[in-house]
Amino acid sequence: MKIGAFIPELLRHLAKKPATVDYPFKKLEVPKGFRGSPYLKPELCIVCRACERDCPAEAIEITSLSEAEKKFRMIIHNDRCVHCAQCVDSCPTGAMLIDTRFEIADYDRHNLKMQWDYIRAVVKPKSEPKSDQAKS
Amino acid sequence: MNFQIPIGPQHPALKEPIGLRITVDGEIIREADLRLGYNHRGIEKLAESKTWIQNIYLMERICGICSHSHTTCYVQGVEKLMEIQAPKRGLYIRTLVAELERIHSHLLWLGVAGHEAGFDSFFMYVWRDREIVMDILEIISGNRVHYAINTIGGVRRDLDELQVKNILDSLSVLRKRSEYYLNLGTTEPSFVARLAGVGYLSKEDALALCAVGPTLRASGVPMDVRKDDPYAVYDEVPFEVCTADTGDVLGRTVVRIKELFQSYNIIEYLLKNLPTGPIAVRAPRRPKSNEVVSRYEAPRGENIHYIKSNGTEKPERLKVRAPTLGNYAATIKMLKNGFIADVPLIFAAIDPCICCAERAVAIVDARTGQEKIVSTSSLKQLKQNVSPNKERKREVVWPL
Repeated sequence: MKIGAFIPELLRHLAKKPATVDYPFKKLEVPKGFRGSPYLKPELCIVCRACERDCPAEAIEITSLSEAEKKFRMIIHNDRCVHCAQCVDSCPTGAMLIDTRFEIADYDRHNLKMQWDYIRAVVKPKSEPKSDQAKS
Repeated sequence: MNFQIPIGPQHPALKEPIGLRITVDGEIIREADLRLGYNHRGIEKLAESKTWIQNIYLMERICGICSHSHTTCYVQGVEKLMEIQAPKRGLYIRTLVAELERIHSHLLWLGVAGHEAGFDSFFMYVWRDREIVMDILEIISGNRVHYAINTIGGVRRDLDELQVKNILDSLSVLRKRSEYYLNLGTTEPSFVARLAGVGYLSKEDALALCAVGPTLRASGVPMDVRKDDPYAVYDEVPFEVCTADTGDVLGRTVVRIKELFQSYNIIEYLLKNLPTGPIAVRAPRRPKSNEVVSRYEAPRGENIHYIKSNGTEKPERLKVRAPTLGNYAATIKMLKNGFIADVPLIFAAIDPCICCAERAVAIVDARTGQEKIVSTSSLKQLKQNVSPNKERKREVVWPL
């Protein structure tokens, strides 16, 4: 037991580079599976509403614009999004995707809203919607 | 002469909103009383209005540090309710993340202990090295804090060869650093002098007051849910339950550092024996009506979820017993006959997580001491009655 056992370690680090990077000028790479903001590929969406039902933050809203033309509107409220990527997992056709942006702050929460108007796609789902499986 | 000192919920010395009333005789604490409910968020009630899948992410947000422990505890229970079995590879990855989380939580705690003991350079160095494990978690799950790796019936992300290699490389660095900290933390004389003998809890008291986790194990009781009631793959993984017999804050530090090494061993075993196969199975939308109790050894101690299903898409009841709540009774015991200056250290030693623990609010009449259930409107009425003529200050001017 001796006093000041930590001092050699402290001195050794005097000459070392800092552990942090100069953030706004230098940015770290985000990892491969990073969960940023969700976005829609409208040409693949079959409006099964699996994402809307599974979203824990109720951030996805799908409304029908015209029943006859099968036109729909999807709004993603990014101000409510908790970035869990459950919508990506729930989507049976791969229409929901997630980006890797992380600097998404804004002065107004309404600017964070994203919106798509599209005609329902006729795509065969790769798998049954996961959540529909046990529908009785 | 006895004085009563209120500490918290808002207090500069406390890192978390703990409400405490202590009766002191000079410097010495004679009586302590905890007030819960300041951080109550109504999560259990909210869980009743969300579906089984949505609740995974809600459970994750009970706590930022042990987010994986709450989801795993919940998901295990729901898997039992739905009568499905997660595949082996999924369970291995789930256990891997659980152990990484234990490392990250214990390193965080070690830094906080250094900070509370006045050893701030120790705090800085430990937290710098904690970034290594945060990076590993980021590689596996994509994010640093809310991993969201669990889903009902398995996990959501798979591991590849490169990731396994990266994790093993980072782990050897961490192991080396932890050895240094174990050596330093138990031999630096001023640090040891600050921790030894503070917050003593005897073995009998620890058992009688139902302490959990490292607090219990530091009092010499080898109790660990991973050994006593193995979940996931802990029955296959070799590891030891770490104990100390000093029963003070130093003992709790030693237990946590020893557990770090056990976690490194577990992770190495898991990565070297990672089975092939699927990582998740499909889960039904609705479980049968039933009830289940799920246990999990979180970094802070035993975490219990009680889940009741009535056969619909949403749970009927979800009760969370977080480890901090189990440690509160023992903390009161530790505080008694200690010094006021030791309050932050003793509290830090149980690694309190107030947002985990505060699951209930009781309305108590200050005059009669009676508890009752009140509605929001009657609460507003009560406020009106207390100060009927007082104008509400809408724009308060800063006095300076």
